[in-house]
Amino acid sequence: MRFPRPGRPVARPLRLAVAATLAAGLLLTACGSDDDPAPGAAGTGTGTAEKPVAGGSVTYAIDTEPTCFDIHVSPQDITAAIQRNVFDSLVAEDESGKFHPWLASSWETSPDLKSYTFKLRQDVTFTDGTRFDAAAVKANFDHIKAPTTKSRYAASLLGSYTGTDVVDEFTARVNFAQPFAPFLQAASTAYLGFYSPKTLTADADKLCGGGPVAVGTGPFTFTSYTKGQSIVLTKNPAYSWAPATAKHTGAAYLDTLTIRILKENSTRIGSLTSGQIDVAGAVPPANVAAVEANGRLQVLRRDAAGSPYSLYLNTTLAPFTDERVRVAFQRGLNIDQDVKTVYFGQYKRSWSPLTAVTPSYDKSLENSWPYDPAKANQLLDEAGWTGRDADGYRTRDGRRLTVAWPIIPATVREQRDVLGQAFQEDLKKIGIELTRPSLDAGTYLKEAYAGKYAVLDFSWARFEPDVLRLFFHSASALAGGGQNAAFVKDPEVDTWTTTGAGTFDEKVRDDVYGRTQQRVVKIGAVVPVYTPSSILAAGKHVHGIAFDTNAWPLFYDAWRDRK
Amino acid sequence: MLRAVGRRLARAGAVVFGAATLAFAALQLLPGDPVAVMLGPATSASPQVREQIRVDFGFDEPVPVRYLHYLGDLVTGDLGRSYQLQQPVTTLIEEQLWPTVQLVAASVTLAVVIAVVSAVVTAGRRSALRAVVTLAELVALSTPQFWLGIVLLTVFSFRLNLFPVAGAQDLTALVLPAVTLALPVAGVLAQVLREGIETALEQPFVVAARARGRSRIGVRLRHAVRHAAAPLLTLTGWVTGSLLGGAVLVETVFGRPGLGSLLLQAVSSRDMPVVLGVVLLTATVVAVVFILVDLVQLALDPRLRTAAAL
Repeated sequence: MRFPRPGRPVARPLRLAVAATLAAGLLLTACGSDDDPAPGAAGTGTGTAEKPVAGGSVTYAIDTEPTCFDIHVSPQDITAAIQRNVFDSLVAEDESGKFHPWLASSWETSPDLKSYTFKLRQDVTFTDGTRFDAAAVKANFDHIKAPTTKSRYAASLLGSYTGTDVVDEFTARVNFAQPFAPFLQAASTAYLGFYSPKTLTADADKLCGGGPVAVGTGPFTFTSYTKGQSIVLTKNPAYSWAPATAKHTGAAYLDTLTIRILKENSTRIGSLTSGQIDVAGAVPPANVAAVEANGRLQVLRRDAAGSPYSLYLNTTLAPFTDERVRVAFQRGLNIDQDVKTVYFGQYKRSWSPLTAVTPSYDKSLENSWPYDPAKANQLLDEAGWTGRDADGYRTRDGRRLTVAWPIIPATVREQRDVLGQAFQEDLKKIGIELTRPSLDAGTYLKEAYAGKYAVLDFSWARFEPDVLRLFFHSASALAGGGQNAAFVKDPEVDTWTTTGAGTFDEKVRDDVYGRTQQRVVKIGAVVPVYTPSSILAAGKHVHGIAFDTNAWPLFYDAWRDRK
Repeated sequence: MLRAVGRRLARAGAVVFGAATLAFAALQLLPGDPVAVMLGPATSASPQVREQIRVDFGFDEPVPVRYLHYLGDLVTGDLGRSYQLQQPVTTLIEEQLWPTVQLVAASVTLAVVIAVVSAVVTAGRRSALRAVVTLAELVALSTPQFWLGIVLLTVFSFRLNLFPVAGAQDLTALVLPAVTLALPVAGVLAQVLREGIETALEQPFVVAARARGRSRIGVRLRHAVRHAAAPLLTLTGWVTGSLLGGAVLVETVFGRPGLGSLLLQAVSSRDMPVVLGVVLLTATVVAVVFILVDLVQLALDPRLRTAAAL
């Protein structure tokens, strides 16, 4: 689709003096842009006032290329986000954390939470004609758990899975060694989606490569993949088992969904403003205002669930063995201002190790630990860091107060390195030196995971407070596939997070997860920084794009104006 | 002549073997546990899965054994299987080869044409044209390709809608990336060629040729360019090799598939079989290109045809 008028070019800092003449020419033409000043659509989800029409195709540009398309193997968000259109799950979760039937029409949980019995829909077929039944559930879960699959994520979502019983053709009982409340949430993700059993027998070793071998039951089929360029999904006309969380039933509206891989931000946004693509993912915060000001475009956004981008302070490494120093570090960071400046006000700052849209989020933490350099200074004085050296950093017994936060330059995204520089400046004001040694991935994994650095940073998208167990349970060690980056060893935190994983009782979960959030912030084990947000920009001719609970765009309900 | 080709092929074989060995050695020297690096920081792989990967990819074997396996597979044309993409490396390279060959061929041809035209027309003249062209070349060769690509995209694709933004679907999509790659290269080649032509034009044989009645431009094309061609050819060969795996910035800006992107992804995820495969391919192509360059130079310049060179 081409817009009648050329779009507003995306402003990009033009750095080179050599190019001054060329640049001046560009800016002049940019001033001639004639966009309407209409504001972008408000809220999430594209407008659905009109009646959806079927047909047509949409091109959606993404910034990251999946390395592996196999949902059972890859831990990548982008893999799940794409494959969500191709694969269905047993259950669907809505924004309030409630579960709805999908491929399972109903389910029962044993009182000890060690087994889940699913009654399956009887009218579901894979796109290769194979029937979806209890044997397919067993084949898929067994496949995920088999060590030969080398699953990097899906297997962990199955927890202490011991096997699936095929009770009858359409009844499957999934068993676990330990009580496992987070299973329904796990079962609702694309990672635990279902391949045709035929695929698993014949093509299991080809699934990473994507393409037509990836046979599921979803609203789209995976037609083709051209590495470095595009992914083409085609409507599955037989689809009639959409979950209640979707807005319509039956086949998808779009005939084809083409996903283009455009890694460079200005290329992706420029392609959108010039009408060469319909939807752009991963809109950089710096570009949001320009897109909103463009009368033909709309901005769609949803905050990520799970754990926000946070710094984890190594509680086992001096000087962070002293809680006062950790808390001083926490209170000495001007997070409000730094996040606002670096992300142009597009990302929210975080207060808790869960993001605000995650179930069991503890709202009472908000504003409970504001920027307070005076308090930070006082804590550092109390901890004995009273000297000052020539560079203005605090010292104790002649040693500088310094902490190291390693960085892998090749993997930096979302300008987190710039944010880090702002933090260095903040901490210098209270006399803490924050260094950023550059490491390659190998050294990072070896040394940081062994606890040789004071600060590590992570974010983790999952619509489930059980991420707290992943990050703070003492048995969830970094070296063993866990994520306890602050090396927390707190028996109460262990008990709370284990209790939370073993119950469906919302009151109990809110209580134990609330306590956990309060505790880890209070002891300065974590400094929540900002909530990553999935920001999409789309032409106003595209409607009905929704987000799932993991903030991934869903194209099942999407449709476009026909001209 | 056959002997000349044979000797050069043998030398090329040694170069490729050396490149294969050096690349293998360099990857062994990277710090960290290869399995952990493969899995990356955001993963929940269990210890069993880690062990399975270690065994599957032979990380449990001693380095010399792995090296011998690697050489053995190479001889049979097997480049192994990618750790990350879990596909045969030969398949991956085949997929990415054609867009890369198109891009490199188009941009090298374009660069040589621009360089020859601009050098032949302006060499040895003290005119305003020469000054302008030389300045343009200087700007072209010092312009970062990344930036040049974005400017070309903004003007010719986003605003004028003349070319599709990206991809490798047809030839129109090749124009902007090829120009982006060609301009800086053309700048360098033109400067080298002009210098060569100007040196040649001062030689006595030019006067002799002019005295025989050859036209100004005829002398340039027939004699001076031939003399100046040697460094141009060598440089072109070198540029061809470096563009094979090195066009990654342009590939990223234009959303094109290609060996450069494949190599970058492989290096950053320590996907050793892919890195080795691309390095080996590049080494082979460079070796072959240099054989061709050598032979063309022998054909162009009879002075080089000594016993030692043949």
